[in-house]
Amino acid sequence: MKSKWSMLFIARGLILALGLVLSACGAAPATEAPPGELTGNLTVLDWAGYDAEDFWVDFKNTYPKVTVNFEIGESDPDIYAKMKAGDQADIFHPYTGWLQFYVDEGLVEEIDTSKLTNWDKVPDYFKKIGQIDGKQYFVPWDWGFSSILYRTDKIPDGIDSWAALMDPKYAGHISMWDDGPSAVTVSSYIHGWDETKITPDQLAQIKQEWIDQRKLNLTYWAGEPELDQAMASGDVWLAYAWQGAYATLLGQGVPVAYANPKEKRNSWVGVYGIRKGTKNYDLALKFLDQKLAVATGNNVVNQFYYGSSNQDVMNGITDTTLKEVFSLNDPNILQHTNFTPNVTAEQRDAWTKMWAEVKAAP
Amino acid sequence: MTTPIQTSPKSARFGGGASLRKRGRDRLSTFWILYLPPLIWLGLFFLIPIVLMAAFSFRADTYGALFENWNLGLNQYATVIATGSYWRLLGVSSLMAFAVSISAVVLSYPLSYFLAFHSGKRAGLYLVLLLVPFWTSYLLRVMAWKIMLGTDGVINSLLMYVGVIKEPLEALLYNRNAVILTLIYVWIPFAALPILAALQRIEWTLFEAAADLGARPYHQFMRITLPLSLPGVFAAFFMVFIPTIGEYVTPLLVGGSRGFMYGNIIQDFFTKAANWPLGSALSMIMLAATLILVFIATRLIKLEDLLQ
Repeated sequence: MKSKWSMLFIARGLILALGLVLSACGAAPATEAPPGELTGNLTVLDWAGYDAEDFWVDFKNTYPKVTVNFEIGESDPDIYAKMKAGDQADIFHPYTGWLQFYVDEGLVEEIDTSKLTNWDKVPDYFKKIGQIDGKQYFVPWDWGFSSILYRTDKIPDGIDSWAALMDPKYAGHISMWDDGPSAVTVSSYIHGWDETKITPDQLAQIKQEWIDQRKLNLTYWAGEPELDQAMASGDVWLAYAWQGAYATLLGQGVPVAYANPKEKRNSWVGVYGIRKGTKNYDLALKFLDQKLAVATGNNVVNQFYYGSSNQDVMNGITDTTLKEVFSLNDPNILQHTNFTPNVTAEQRDAWTKMWAEVKAAP
Repeated sequence: MTTPIQTSPKSARFGGGASLRKRGRDRLSTFWILYLPPLIWLGLFFLIPIVLMAAFSFRADTYGALFENWNLGLNQYATVIATGSYWRLLGVSSLMAFAVSISAVVLSYPLSYFLAFHSGKRAGLYLVLLLVPFWTSYLLRVMAWKIMLGTDGVINSLLMYVGVIKEPLEALLYNRNAVILTLIYVWIPFAALPILAALQRIEWTLFEAAADLGARPYHQFMRITLPLSLPGVFAAFFMVFIPTIGEYVTPLLVGGSRGFMYGNIIQDFFTKAANWPLGSALSMIMLAATLILVFIATRLIKLEDLLQ
């Protein structure tokens, strides 16, 4: 009997001790550690290149003791597929067009904007892009254009329409981005269709157009460096491109211009979201707040030639090349573009199937 | 320096039922120790993924979480079957794989022959030289061909310098031929290894006997070397053929907009479209097609007859 009782005592003691330890761990500190002393771990699922310290330098300097790990996603579908498969990253970086799915599938946490000290520097039209069903799910961060980039020495008359991508005049020297939804976007611009309401008949017509275009298209580019090289060598005269390629080639002294098509340029915005269920929600918010700070934004503008959602960063640009890249001398440039709308899962599947059939066609 | 165990008589150690059982146990444990790691490896990274892929191919749509809301259906297969261009591309990819495998085997045979019979003491060095390309990344080797075949590339520059052509040939890069050429180059060292192994197994006495009976080198090759090396040749062929049907990296880099292979479509559905069910159905069909092709080929060739 005696031994049984003593065992019980020991067990109770152990449980009590364990409970004490657990409650000590779980209890929130009365006052938060100062930024310089704050420790923790954050994992960010981002695009290759954005893991460089320059693109989160403000966070690094403010919270030097927090460890930030990066996972790399190679495209929007890749990042989406990873998050859907249960990736444990705290923060992820999708682009316009791919935002709705994260909300529909319950993969993203709402942003508590009251905790973002830099939030008031983001213009309202950018904030709206991160809102879905009236809630702020994403923090807009980088933005840019898609348009036609062309060699001015090969095409001295210039390009004034998206239809140039399908012009037999340039046969063998055209390069389209390897992306189905973008092909639908370009065709919609050319025909003046609403790309959010493409009918099956219209999609069939788009498919045939791009099958015909394939005879003129030298190669579909997948990554920007590939496009830069093909344009610099003179193999490609005109291409669907982001302004990053434009600025890179300008910097290399290649004679290029970035078209302002009559159907308007496309524009896109990159946003950050916080994974639903993350244990590091507060730390993730701090990370996103510092992402919006000026030094980080300046690095994005100067190194990648992409715009920042922080208006102070954009107002501070003095470099004439960069002003030209962003068309900052045209105060209405963003009204002259077509923002990438969110696509539905049905559209995504139909459009990507269409593109696969274009590539498989004889 | 002999230990008591080594000097003890065998009968004492292995005699009797108990020792036999122990020996059986030892043999069994050796079996598991040797086979378990590869079995686990194959199970984790081959069997489970294939089963998952098969399961995904019967999922009707991509909506909902990855392992929830499974609506089973055959509609992914229906989509593939109804799309003629996918079948055509599978046919084109098989033909390309056939051309690549035949060329790689034909080109690597003399290499292996030289290594097996004429390299002498330097055989090891030559073998290392053959395998040196593997020390650089696959991507780099494919990119090198881009530099060779481009409009201002090595071949065009040379031909223009010599004066054979005035304008650079644009037909060298960004088409199916460029894909086939690059793949042949990439596969030659792989194809050479099984052929080399088969050639090295041939008994020297056979050649001596043939020479004694008056066979000239040509007849020796046709009657001894070639037939006895055929198992290695077929192994090399299939080693190249099977992975080449599903190839997607090389077409992406040197194939241009008209050089795509079936593997590119599969890759697109996994990475560009986030449509794993359709990608899985396409993969399963490719797997089945490859197995059928290999089955037919082995039926036609009958390796056992060749060996007799």
